[in-house]
Amino acid sequence: MADKLAWRAERQNAADAQSGAGDTTRRGVIGSGIAIRDVVKAYGIFRAADEVSLDIEPGEFITLLGPSGSGKTTLLNLIAGFQRLDEGEILVDGKPVHDVPTHKRGFGMVFQSYALFPNMTVAQNVAFPLRMAGIDRATADRRVAETLEMMRLSEHAGKMPSQMSGGQQQRVAIARSIVLRPKVVLMDEPLSALDRRLRESIQIEIRQLHQTLGSTILFVTHDQGEALTMSDRIAVMDAGKIIQIGTPTEIYRHPKDRFVASFVGESNLIEAEVVQKRGNTMTLKNRAGYVFSAESRDAIDVGRATVLVRPERIAISATPVPNSIPATVTSALFLGEIVRIEAELEGGETLLIRCTDMAGRPLPAVGDSLHVSWNAEDCWVLS
Amino acid sequence: MTTATFGAPTSRPTAVPLSERVKNPALLLLPAACFLAFIYLLPLIDLGRISVSGPTWSVYFERVFSVPLYWESLVRTMQISFTVACFCLLFGYPTALLIHRSRGVVQVLIATAIVLPYFIAILIRTYAWMVLLGRNGPVNKLLTAIGVFAEPAQLLFNRGSVLLGMTAVLMPLMVLSIYSSVARLDKSLTRAALAAGAGPIAVFWRVLFPLTLPGVGAGFLLVFVTALGFFITPTLLGGPKDQMFAMHITQQADFATSEGFLQSLAVVLLVITLVVVGVAGRFLGFEFIWGGGKLSDSPAKPSGDKAERSSRSQRSIGSTFADLVGWPLLRLLGKLPKSAGTWTVRLVGGFVVAGLVLPIVVVMIISFSSATYLTFPPPSFSLRWYEKFFSDSNWMSAFWSSLIIATMSASIAVTLGASAAMGIVRSRIKGKSAIMLLLVSPVIVPPVVLGLSLYTLFLRFDLVGSMWGIAAAHAIGGLPLVVVIIAASLQAVDPRLEQAASVHGASPLTVFRTVTLPAIAPGLAAATFFAFLHSFDELVLSLFLSSAHLRTLPLMLWADINYQLNPVLAVVSTLEVLLVVGGIALARPVLTRSRGVA
Repeated sequence: MADKLAWRAERQNAADAQSGAGDTTRRGVIGSGIAIRDVVKAYGIFRAADEVSLDIEPGEFITLLGPSGSGKTTLLNLIAGFQRLDEGEILVDGKPVHDVPTHKRGFGMVFQSYALFPNMTVAQNVAFPLRMAGIDRATADRRVAETLEMMRLSEHAGKMPSQMSGGQQQRVAIARSIVLRPKVVLMDEPLSALDRRLRESIQIEIRQLHQTLGSTILFVTHDQGEALTMSDRIAVMDAGKIIQIGTPTEIYRHPKDRFVASFVGESNLIEAEVVQKRGNTMTLKNRAGYVFSAESRDAIDVGRATVLVRPERIAISATPVPNSIPATVTSALFLGEIVRIEAELEGGETLLIRCTDMAGRPLPAVGDSLHVSWNAEDCWVLS
Repeated sequence: MTTATFGAPTSRPTAVPLSERVKNPALLLLPAACFLAFIYLLPLIDLGRISVSGPTWSVYFERVFSVPLYWESLVRTMQISFTVACFCLLFGYPTALLIHRSRGVVQVLIATAIVLPYFIAILIRTYAWMVLLGRNGPVNKLLTAIGVFAEPAQLLFNRGSVLLGMTAVLMPLMVLSIYSSVARLDKSLTRAALAAGAGPIAVFWRVLFPLTLPGVGAGFLLVFVTALGFFITPTLLGGPKDQMFAMHITQQADFATSEGFLQSLAVVLLVITLVVVGVAGRFLGFEFIWGGGKLSDSPAKPSGDKAERSSRSQRSIGSTFADLVGWPLLRLLGKLPKSAGTWTVRLVGGFVVAGLVLPIVVVMIISFSSATYLTFPPPSFSLRWYEKFFSDSNWMSAFWSSLIIATMSASIAVTLGASAAMGIVRSRIKGKSAIMLLLVSPVIVPPVVLGLSLYTLFLRFDLVGSMWGIAAAHAIGGLPLVVVIIAASLQAVDPRLEQAASVHGASPLTVFRTVTLPAIAPGLAAATFFAFLHSFDELVLSLFLSSAHLRTLPLMLWADINYQLNPVLAVVSTLEVLLVVGGIALARPVLTRSRGVA
């Protein structure tokens, strides 16, 4: 009982302290740090989460990125408390939450299916967390009005969710998740039911909300573009494990392995043999014997390696330049701002090339020969 | 969520296993399980025990199978049931297609014409046929008027009237069962088949029919099994040569001396029913009983896969055979003009709708008759029979008894059934299908068998003629309805909604109150109504369990139908129809609201 009262008081204080945050853009971190330690969740022999460890900084926007079935939603459900973990522990602000039931964790959450209560109006939906926290009526009404205004939903307050479009419904769901100024907001693929344009505008909205609120946001998606644009850090998951954690640039430029390289962004993977290594720069030789350099942080110095070159980092020229490899065009598409070329390297691999610098020049035709090249720092050796 | 223990390093060593266990939703199954065990399973087991308690265990059974009266009746029962099921299928399939193909108001009207009779007591619908086919009934009047008969003929009390009555009574069951699988069809399938160059007949044979086979199978079996235990309709519409097996049990029940033999008759009927259902369940899946989808026990279910594969291969053997016979036949039919199929569907469907609605309409008209005997059209109209009903203390006390018993029974069934439905949908226990099977099994046990088994129990605990006793007995049959309806509405509740409430601070009880309950409210209302109606209409159990000073409305009707056919019965029937219509009309806004939300 005392616990509950204390918790309510804390919520009330948070609500009071944060009121008025809607019209300012100051950023104060109120988010919690979350530590996930060796968490296992198994269904029979299938491990949906397999010894996952992850440290989330207070106020961080972190994205769990992975294909369906990679365990990202399971991890989110474990953090929310919908499921109980089999092994390991989850700490929020240093305290284990194992015995804290979902409704006392004080999180906000946005679902892919919106999950708005169909029997309540928009305002009632948004007021729900306040009502549950036992916040007094006047404060609650004020908070609801502020939050609705923040999400530009004020004129919809009296509507039922079924009368609104998908994008509006999702904004209501977001409003509901942040109305209590929670320390942690969990977002389970919140944008995947929306069309592309709407998705992009809500991405920006969520990003701004994060700046304003300072909550920790844990965002789950299978859309790598979304992950790259929104996150402070990305945790790429596959088969119940976290493969790589890093900032969007790290993940994109320096993926750890083939899976991350091909899941995040478009990629060209070239099989090559290590000739020499000096510092972080390696000299490699592809199958046809052409030599080029690449960057590497790992300690491989002999044998075979897989090298990643992003399509937009490849330069093409009609005549050979130093470190270039000859290739034959197999397709060329004009996409407006860029040109998308596929070319077969001598030695077998087909490269995807995106280049912008075509002004005035004619498109290469299928069967044309050209020379492809890249800078050593744009070429990354996978471990 | 799971009851599995977890070896996590918890902060507090005193992990609370007891409170965890108390929260396990599987416990919600307990009340219903206890109820059924005591008032349903135990009496049935006792029935079996008494049936083998003779000098030697098989003495009574030997009598059943050696006296021609009984085994001939058994064969007859099977024949009648099979014929009725065939008729229902033959007429029911086009009717289901007609509902599917019609649009807007027409569709609603046809569907109502099928569904409405389904909720009206079998006793009343049988009575309507007696009126329709009676000596002074409209059919006889019509046929003599156009000169088919010189004088009114005896259309009742023969095999034909039994088959007609039973087919009419069971028709909605078949149509609804087939319709549920027709409605599930993707409309674009037929279009795809047409686009692929299949003619209308090929579309029917290759696409429509195979895909609706589960519904056809389920409907056929439900009708067959229900017909096996039929008692009311053959008693009222049949002659001495149309004795069905269940009728022997009630006739013998008057003699206390036949204890043991009586039970063996019931056991024979029960075993035959269970064997039919068991064999059918092996092929169709037992889900056909409650017309629902499979309940997920666990994410991985390899055994189910296997069953599906084997049934698919059987189906393909069946369909090769059917192709050999059916395809040339359909080719011949293909020579008919294109609209022939549409017209067949319309004609047969229209015939079925008329067959279901006309008797009720005739009875409603006759209730306003001024004549003292049953004649149609009535010589003039009056409200005298309504006055008689409302001023007769016997009728009124029976009416109030029925009302009270039905209310009690509905509250028992809804309380136990809703809790059991929660338990079955929300828990992660093994063998959900088996539990569901137990919960809905009262639907397939012939009421006569159940009544006899309960009679012994009620005698022992001195419950005969007690309102609570009868209400509890009625709740046995009401429970499956409640469980099926509420389980279905619970399964339709989006788990994400509940998670959303929970994560935003609602305790489990608040989640239930604010999210789950509003979502299942329409289902709850429907379940309450059906459980009430089930008890209000129940006759067979009441026949066994009531006493001289406690009579329900159906019992009064039953006595009167056997004793004198007068328009008071038509009044009761009309009131019952109004009750059903009123109930559905009241439920409609609730139902449409829930649909609008979803």
